[in-house]
Amino acid sequence: MPTWMTLAKGPAFLFALTFVILGLLRLIFLTTWDIVSAIRRAGDRRLPYRQIALQTILWLLPFNRLHRNRAGYSIASFSLHIGILVVSLFLRNHLDILEANIGFSWIAIAKPILDVLTLIGILGISALLLYRLYVIGSRQLSKAVDYLLLLILLNIFLSGFLAGRPWNPIPYDGLMLFHTVNGMVLAMLAPFTKIAHCVLFPLIRLGTEVAWHFTPMGGSETVKTLHGPQGRKI
Amino acid sequence: MTTPSNTTSTPRQPYFYHIESSAIPELNNRAEKFLAAFAAILQHSNYRFLIELYAKTSAKCGRCAESCQIYQASRDPHDIPCYRTSLLLDVYRQYYSDDGKRFSRLVSEDPLSNEKIDEMAELFYRCTACRRCTIECPMGIDHGLIAHLGRYVLSEAGIAPKGLVVSVREQLEGATGNTSAIPLPALLDNIEFLQEELQDITGKLVNFPVDQEGSEYIFFPAVSDYLMEADTLMGNAAALQAAGVSWTIGSKYFDGINYGLFYNDWALERIIQKLVEEAHRLQAKKILIGECGHAARSARQFVPTFANGRELPVVSILELTQQAAQQGKLRLKKDAITERVTYHDPCNIARSGWIINQPRQLLRSFVEDFVEMRPGGRENYCCGGGGGLVSLDEIYEFRMNVAGKVKAEQIKASGAQIVATPCANCKKQLRELVDYYKLPVQIVGVHDLVLRAIDL
Repeated sequence: MPTWMTLAKGPAFLFALTFVILGLLRLIFLTTWDIVSAIRRAGDRRLPYRQIALQTILWLLPFNRLHRNRAGYSIASFSLHIGILVVSLFLRNHLDILEANIGFSWIAIAKPILDVLTLIGILGISALLLYRLYVIGSRQLSKAVDYLLLLILLNIFLSGFLAGRPWNPIPYDGLMLFHTVNGMVLAMLAPFTKIAHCVLFPLIRLGTEVAWHFTPMGGSETVKTLHGPQGRKI
Repeated sequence: MTTPSNTTSTPRQPYFYHIESSAIPELNNRAEKFLAAFAAILQHSNYRFLIELYAKTSAKCGRCAESCQIYQASRDPHDIPCYRTSLLLDVYRQYYSDDGKRFSRLVSEDPLSNEKIDEMAELFYRCTACRRCTIECPMGIDHGLIAHLGRYVLSEAGIAPKGLVVSVREQLEGATGNTSAIPLPALLDNIEFLQEELQDITGKLVNFPVDQEGSEYIFFPAVSDYLMEADTLMGNAAALQAAGVSWTIGSKYFDGINYGLFYNDWALERIIQKLVEEAHRLQAKKILIGECGHAARSARQFVPTFANGRELPVVSILELTQQAAQQGKLRLKKDAITERVTYHDPCNIARSGWIINQPRQLLRSFVEDFVEMRPGGRENYCCGGGGGLVSLDEIYEFRMNVAGKVKAEQIKASGAQIVATPCANCKKQLRELVDYYKLPVQIVGVHDLVLRAIDL
């Protein structure tokens, strides 16, 4: 194995893994801390925890909701998520690298199934890219980083899929390096981009509900800060 | 449907048309004022962590667009809820988030401009704050909350619609202490008239008690009902008499309206404190809110926060009347209403509240031909005047052509002759809508129909 590949699958992988785990743990910790502090500051601390949990779970498995709104976009997005999660976490080759670095892994899923999921993922990413490029509403909402993340994902899926094909025309080692570097870049971007929703998602609906529980004198204090103790007239 | 204009959207206009002219000269440095207000609000509220969370997770997938009736009518990308939200999130990222500030310096982002403030001022008041988009957001981002916060920051920077500001000023600092500027003697005259009128209708003496200490309920309708909704108020009083509960109107404060919910937390806080103060002055046990969506929601949601340890339960008149009917205390003549009736859910008590089935059960018990508007309940469409927009006469064309267009189509599709809705703001907007679209429909309150069906 070329030296750069050993590096990518060993120390570089371990660095990226540590970086993403610590980065995401930091986000979970800070957000949880913020939510708990906000609850303590709120004038009314009663929260509908059950309802919040139910809504969060329903959106985690949104099978009955995808068709209701922007069906094409929603199904593409859901396919992409399934592809990322299952292929990245259950491909034998990925698990071998994990085992080699941290000493343990888990059961893999059969490659033909993952090949199908990879293709679905590629279709999903392509559809999302086309939406952002050609649907006016989506284009207006999109920034460079939205395209960048989709392009990195597309690189990862395409290169991974090609690498496993006997008819792959691109030199295997170069393709694998491309695949690995893109994967590591994506992982390291996770704590700083919207990919952070992979860990913050369960806290968003709770956070929204908490934010509607205002601080008792927040309005008055704001006016004092802006206008001094004499306040202001309406 | 008869559409008075060929265009579905009105041109977007500068916002100066709806703020008080006296505020305009002070607004040359509005970006600076906006940032100062934003910083102060973040310091004293619970918003900061949520904006940070939204800024980190907003995927801008655009699913919210198709559930927003404003975007459905205008097809203007600026009306997509997550676009509007991103305006405020971008300011937060650039000026208040640690990661964002570093990034901003790195790429030399342009400072916040007056033009950006103008865009926010316009777009936050093209939103009816109905929160329908929130149901469809996979992430759970509440664009209604962001619109609320955006308006709050703007108002502390001196930018708020005069239609809201003038009303709140009279309510909190004016001589009459209510949004409709009704002096107490005029209110008492009005009450006397309502009692006489109600006696003519029912043949019974029905009291509107004032300042009765120790009553179970202190009643706060939308004060505009005293001027414009006599049937609603008479229906309220008749239902309360039939239910056999003790209740009173407070002479020191009698207005349920709380426009603070629409644009300013300081006003929201002070108005809630006035409700609570009057309830305690008269030693009432519960606060009873009349037919008004935002009044019921703001009281129910914020009395526990702003009551300063003197919290009282908040009940909607719809709950009370429905319970009385269910318990057999309130007798309603079956099939008293023969016209086809539909029900419009006020967003503040349906999607953001707890009142969906109660009015339906009540109406079905005496309406021969009740039909649902679809979608309804939690997924209803806003009347188009929500979030205080109905008080802004300057945007009448927008409310008719854009914000209320979907609702007008829904009403027409229902085939109803009567639309019942328990909200003063919804009623005003819907009446204007049916006039505008020339729909042969009557807009009434739920208790207007209760009054026609009640057997005292």
